Amino acid sequence: MFKIKKSLTQRIVFYVLTLCILIFLTTLSLFYLSSKKQLEQVTYKNTAYITENTALKIEAILTPIMKIAKNYQWMMIQMKDKPDSIAALTQKVVASNPEIMGSAVAFIPDYYASKGKYFAPYSYRKGDSIITKQLGNENYEYFYMDWFQIPTSINKPYWSEPYYDTGGANALMTTFSIPITIDSAGVSKTIAVLTVDLALDWFTEIVSAVKVLETGYASVISKAGTFVTHPNKELIMNQTIFSYAKENDNEELRIIGRAMQTQKNGFANSTLNGVHRIIYYTTLPSSNWSLAVVFPKSEIYLPLRKITIILIVLIVIALTLLTIIITKVISKQLIPLTAFSKTARQIAKGDFQTPIPQIKTEDEMLELHDAFHFMQDNLLHYIETLKDTTTAKEKIESELRIAREIQMGMIPKTFPPFPTRKELDQYASLIPAKEVGGDLYDYFIDDDKLYFIIGDVSGKGIPASLLMAVTRSLFRSVTLHFDSPAEILTNLNNSLAENNDSNMFVTLFIGILDLNTGHLQFCNAGHNPPIVIREQASFLEVIPNLPLGLIDGFQYQQQEKKIHNGTTLVLYTDGLTEAENDSKKLYGEERLLELTSTNEHLNTQQLVETILEDVHAHVQTAEQSDDLTLLAIKYNGPTRKYEKSVSLINEIEQIYILQQFIEEVGEDLDFDASLVMKLNLALEEAVSNVILYAYPKVSGKKIIVSAAYKGNDLIFTVTDTGVPFDPTLTEHPNLDLDAEERPIGGLGIFLIKQIMNEVTYSRIHDVNVFTMKKKIDPKNE
Amino acid sequence: MKYVRRFFGLFILFCSCLTLQAQNKTLTFMPHWLPQAQFAGYYMALQKGFYAELGLQVQIIHPNTSRIATESLKNKEVDIISLFLVSALTAQDRGVPLVNIGQISQNSALMIVAKKSKNFKTIQDLQNKRIGIWKSGFDEIPKALIAANHLNVTWVPILSSINMFIEDGIDAMTVMSYNEYDQIINAGFNPEELNIFKFSDLGFNIVEDGLYCLDSTRQTRQQELQKFVQATLKGWAYAEQHREETLQVVLEWMKKEHVATNYAHQKWMLDQMCILMKSSTKNLKYGQLSETDFNKAQTILYQSAVLKTKIPFVLFYKPVVK
Repeated sequence: MFKIKKSLTQRIVFYVLTLCILIFLTTLSLFYLSSKKQLEQVTYKNTAYITENTALKIEAILTPIMKIAKNYQWMMIQMKDKPDSIAALTQKVVASNPEIMGSAVAFIPDYYASKGKYFAPYSYRKGDSIITKQLGNENYEYFYMDWFQIPTSINKPYWSEPYYDTGGANALMTTFSIPITIDSAGVSKTIAVLTVDLALDWFTEIVSAVKVLETGYASVISKAGTFVTHPNKELIMNQTIFSYAKENDNEELRIIGRAMQTQKNGFANSTLNGVHRIIYYTTLPSSNWSLAVVFPKSEIYLPLRKITIILIVLIVIALTLLTIIITKVISKQLIPLTAFSKTARQIAKGDFQTPIPQIKTEDEMLELHDAFHFMQDNLLHYIETLKDTTTAKEKIESELRIAREIQMGMIPKTFPPFPTRKELDQYASLIPAKEVGGDLYDYFIDDDKLYFIIGDVSGKGIPASLLMAVTRSLFRSVTLHFDSPAEILTNLNNSLAENNDSNMFVTLFIGILDLNTGHLQFCNAGHNPPIVIREQASFLEVIPNLPLGLIDGFQYQQQEKKIHNGTTLVLYTDGLTEAENDSKKLYGEERLLELTSTNEHLNTQQLVETILEDVHAHVQTAEQSDDLTLLAIKYNGPTRKYEKSVSLINEIEQIYILQQFIEEVGEDLDFDASLVMKLNLALEEAVSNVILYAYPKVSGKKIIVSAAYKGNDLIFTVTDTGVPFDPTLTEHPNLDLDAEERPIGGLGIFLIKQIMNEVTYSRIHDVNVFTMKKKIDPKNE
Repeated sequence: MKYVRRFFGLFILFCSCLTLQAQNKTLTFMPHWLPQAQFAGYYMALQKGFYAELGLQVQIIHPNTSRIATESLKNKEVDIISLFLVSALTAQDRGVPLVNIGQISQNSALMIVAKKSKNFKTIQDLQNKRIGIWKSGFDEIPKALIAANHLNVTWVPILSSINMFIEDGIDAMTVMSYNEYDQIINAGFNPEELNIFKFSDLGFNIVEDGLYCLDSTRQTRQQELQKFVQATLKGWAYAEQHREETLQVVLEWMKKEHVATNYAHQKWMLDQMCILMKSSTKNLKYGQLSETDFNKAQTILYQSAVLKTKIPFVLFYKPVVK
């Protein structure tokens, strides 16, 4: 198939040519088909006409001869009794009819007694003279000849099969015989036959003269099917149409031959000598021979083919010319396009001043020219504007950068923020969605209390960042005057709601944590509830209240909660939980809760970074749509400066006072009962040891027990002025022995070492100082 | 008028007589009819040099429509003729001292043909009809068949054309399967339009073409005759195996003798001849005359009074090839 070329010209030419060829082909086919049918009809009609006309010509010669013979037949009957004058008659027949070559009157055997067996006067033409003789002898018994035997047998005139006369004319002849019959006593009797011989040269001439189309010819077959005339001389007299059909294995032709013998006329067709031919035949009524005209069917269409070929040649020439002209015209018309294409490239390269091709015609090209011109002008203008805009944008961007720096500057970014406050571990992150964001967090410590907020201003960008700055400033100033979260938020709300024409609002969570006691006061203004992590993570139950800045005078309700040592608070903005990935799936609170649960052991920085990594893993390449802020606060418990002591005397009953003392310490330090019991056990061992052994035989001596809590260490010191004794040197008791068998001592110090983490002894200025250190796990508090 | 070729025939005869006298070794052979495929074996023996191979000089001359071969033999114008068995028996009975020296045909090709349109069904329907028969002879067997069926018919002698039959000048016609029958077909009649009474089907399967010479010739020129028969049989065998080549030779002969014909008809004739030469009797050698066939023919002819006396087989059949 055609491949449609890329060039516009070639494409147009292709379409036009295809259409033209289709139109030409259709027209030509219609013309050819209709002409073909007409030609067929005309040719068939003509052939029939020519054939019938030829038959008439032949008949025009044969019919008079038959008449002549019939006339002489009558004369013959009159003369039957004068045998000697019959020769004169035959001579007259030949003499007065130039087309007759010979004539005989042949009598049946022994008709005239005087004339013997044979009597047949015969006159024939030889050159210019006419010779008369008697036919018949023992070598030429004419009674058995077809020309005699057949008319006498059938008692009808008879045209003989054609024959070559080798005696006289040396030509193809036929003989017309007519029986001469007389009535003898009521019975008709054939007594003789009158014959006229005809040379068939004129016949051959007439038939040979018939020409139909290019090679169409005429042929005559006799009654027995013998070829009388045919362009192929070999066939004449040698073949019948049937032997010819057999020789050529052509059954059709045999059927046609039979039709020619029996039908008056008609059309037939057959393949003769390898060519499909049309045959029209008609009977010659006088002799019952049949005249046929044969022509190759293809020749009917020869003139049509010639015209068609001429037409095709003309069409091809026309199409060639058309192609050339269209190509030239379109190419010429399209020249400016190439120039425009170059210009467009130049403009694309930035050369806006490049000259535009000049168009003189007032057509689409001129429109294109104008469009280019317009485009060029506009581009110039646009580029100018673009330059200004870009400068302005760059300025804005630079200012935004500064604004961001300022904004980020407002947010505490130094970690750890309070390095001296061991009670706290704190970390935060704020990632704005745009250059400047609307999220905020802040915190400060005042009077052993941590004030902290996290907030989210509605909207993003500069307006949000401005409101955020305002909120942050207000937070700082309001906390100077109020110290309950509800009061702070109520004041903040009132300040923000006032003149809030732009209807912006802030969600905010405020918390105030007493670092000494872990007591947390908090108030929520429509913000996401923080997560509390203590072994398990869970959301802090909060009263939502209303975001700040919406309703002037709204009273905020605050809540409080005991924060245990080691608890982490995770505060965040909705930029975290609503972080979307490409398929618009949110990060979600569940995932955050799960993640924080499994990572409760991390410190705040690790926790924040882990959360951020997980958010990034979720979001992947999606663009950040909202500010993302995280604030994690871990409360390690208060930094203790607890000291308490009790003075005992070396009497065993004093143990009860010691027990009381230990319970007071446990109560003060909020220890659970099991720890207090263990501590009690250890100290009872240590003190009872001093009571029993430090002052032998002396009573009323002082024993001082003091407790101090530093960091996570609880330190008990037992001092006495008794005999020096280092219990730490005591050997490990043999635990395999029964209690009765074991030596005194050793078991007590073992117990103490089991309970306490560190046990030391020193003798300072005659004083025994026994120190026991116990690390207090904040969780066991 | 027609067939004025007798002058030409006489001229040939005259020439051959001269040759005979000049060279004793030349054998003249006359088939009993005009040149056609019926005699293909002789033409091929001559054409392929089978006669010459055996040192024979053979000349083939043909009769014409008015002169039959027996006359030529009787007059010693020719040395050997071909003849139907019945014609030979009749001629012998009428005093021509001929003997059979070899038998070519082993079957009868005779048939009576009638148009179906004339309502012929059995041989009995020929009663009182006009039946065409060759004027030149060979009418003995048809007549015997009619007599054997106790029929009364009018015999119409005709020369050689089938036009009487076509023009309805006769009701039926005796024909040879290889010749006139095919001419009728070639004049446009289809086989299914014809009723055919085959003599071989009616108990009259009388063998036909054989080779004959005068007994005197046989005695004096035995060796030459033997060679002639041998070469002739070889010629026939060759013709049977090379039919296309043979047909071209036959057509050449016919053209030379100005006999109108065509390929299709001669092919039919050659094919038929090849069938007729095949004997149904296994122990009969190629070229032999069976005594049974001889007796059958002689009996028919004797009974129908064609023959006045009977002749013993051995006196009639004197094969030159043992």
